[in-house]
Amino acid sequence: MIEQMNKSLDFLRDKYGFPQGNISAGQEFFMLKDADGSTYELLPYRIERRFSELKKMIDSNTLEDVSTLRFAKFTSGITMKKLLAEQLDLAEFIAGSPIIRGFASGDGENVCNVIVRFANSISASIECGTKLPANATVLDRHEIIARRGVGCDRGVDTQIPQHSIYLWNDEGKQEYTDVDTELFGLPDEVIWNVRAACALLKEPVLKKLWHEAASRSLKLAEAAIASARTNTPVTTGEF
Amino acid sequence: MKPVKIAMMGMTHGHTRKYYQTLIENQKLDWVASCAQDEEAKKVYELYQTGVPCYLDPEAMLAEHPEIEAVVIASANDQHFKDMEFCAKRGIHILSMKIPTFDMDEYDAMIEMVDKAGIICQIELEMHYNPVVKRLQKLITDGKLGKLLSVQATNITLSPVWAFPWQGSPEASYGKRVQLSADDHRFRGGALCDHPHIFDLIRWLTGSSFESVFAQAAPNLRRELEVEDMVLAAGKMQDGTAFLFDPSWSRLEERLKVPGPGWELFPKRMEVNLTITGEKGMIQCDCFGPNVYHNGAPNDRYTVQYTYFDEWIGLIDEFVDCIRNHKQPKINLKWHRETIACMNGCYESIRSGQAVKLG
Repeated sequence: MIEQMNKSLDFLRDKYGFPQGNISAGQEFFMLKDADGSTYELLPYRIERRFSELKKMIDSNTLEDVSTLRFAKFTSGITMKKLLAEQLDLAEFIAGSPIIRGFASGDGENVCNVIVRFANSISASIECGTKLPANATVLDRHEIIARRGVGCDRGVDTQIPQHSIYLWNDEGKQEYTDVDTELFGLPDEVIWNVRAACALLKEPVLKKLWHEAASRSLKLAEAAIASARTNTPVTTGEF
Repeated sequence: MKPVKIAMMGMTHGHTRKYYQTLIENQKLDWVASCAQDEEAKKVYELYQTGVPCYLDPEAMLAEHPEIEAVVIASANDQHFKDMEFCAKRGIHILSMKIPTFDMDEYDAMIEMVDKAGIICQIELEMHYNPVVKRLQKLITDGKLGKLLSVQATNITLSPVWAFPWQGSPEASYGKRVQLSADDHRFRGGALCDHPHIFDLIRWLTGSSFESVFAQAAPNLRRELEVEDMVLAAGKMQDGTAFLFDPSWSRLEERLKVPGPGWELFPKRMEVNLTITGEKGMIQCDCFGPNVYHNGAPNDRYTVQYTYFDEWIGLIDEFVDCIRNHKQPKINLKWHRETIACMNGCYESIRSGQAVKLG
């Protein structure tokens, strides 16, 4: 996968004139190593188009006076800590504010339900689970509820993610959602990490921000798991 | 590779603004100038603050920028021949909008002009660079459906006429004033003229040519228009594949002068969906979905906010590749002729009330 990522990154660097850099696997995140040898965490969900568009809804005042975020993600093959870190950082990114308090329920390993409050007083609920069968499509939903408008990455009256193409034939039912012509055919994980690396190479100011956010997200995840185990809220100081 | 010095002309086509980001960001291009058809088009262009100078006279633009190698002709359909002639005479490569012309004699003259000048002329049919279409083509080529039996497709949108008035003018859109039929006093030049994509796609998906087509115009949703806004077409390809197309302006709109948030009344302002049946299976395909959704500002209506509109990246990449490496674009004037002929066949069918033989 790393080889695939770097081949794609080289293609885009050449095309758009981005500086030298390559991707490697880190402990919790894929990392970008830049020309001077420094490494930075990649936060691919921060540049995934549906999340950029959701954030844009807030930043452009399409949604006004946000009250609550309702996030959910159920998957497999990932630790609860990593899953929570991703969703908690995404929540801070979209809310545009740091989390100041959190409470969680669940075993902290297979399931974890989190309620948080941000410094700007927005609330969020985050439902996470890692028990989806390995071959099942990830189930997720990200909803923003505001005094003016609701934004969501799932359509009204749909409980599960939709796809661009559904194919039925003798091999059964298959689903496809392709979002990137330049990186056509690659797995989503490769596409979004390569795009994240491009974002860092194009806008170096993001490197420090993402590094700090990655570190903070892991602390937030650990705090949420601790809250679930102790049945006690955690506050800013504990992050 | 040396960047291609490129310009835009006309600036009145609905797709004009979609090029700006690609022309600025692609390292293989150097966007040096634009030339608007009139003051009004120039004013709208300047709202986007591209930083690229805009002229009102193509000769003046070329005098200032003799280095221009290629032009995106982003003008009304009835301006295309004149604009192409301007470029061809000067050996400037052309990226043409989706309808070069509906006049088949003029169309053949364009082919001759381009051949004689030895320039690249690529037609803008951006669906070919859509990743969902790419997957669709791959699945069919890989034989997942077997021999195709039927293709149903929509290319339905809101009507752009309030922002781009030429699209409601029979002369500017269709090239002349032709009544739909003896008892239908509307004119050719409406929704059908705006939606060639599905007529083109079926040729790619089947590898076949049109055999015949039948079309019918419905009562207009917009009574003010003198061109058709609702139309259906059905027919057969030479390989036997049946088709049913809906190329209508069936989604109502706010009558904005400049496209922007709140343009749509129906949540999804533009859709290209296909249902394909083959001997081995079926496909349902939404070329512009899934997306994200909201009911916020400016109109508090449930709205699709699109998450992918990057077709112009691939389209421009191919154009540059063809110029620098002397290749023929996939969608060139000669290839596209049959698509235009079928669209004319639809109008002829509306006139006669009969299926029109094409093959």
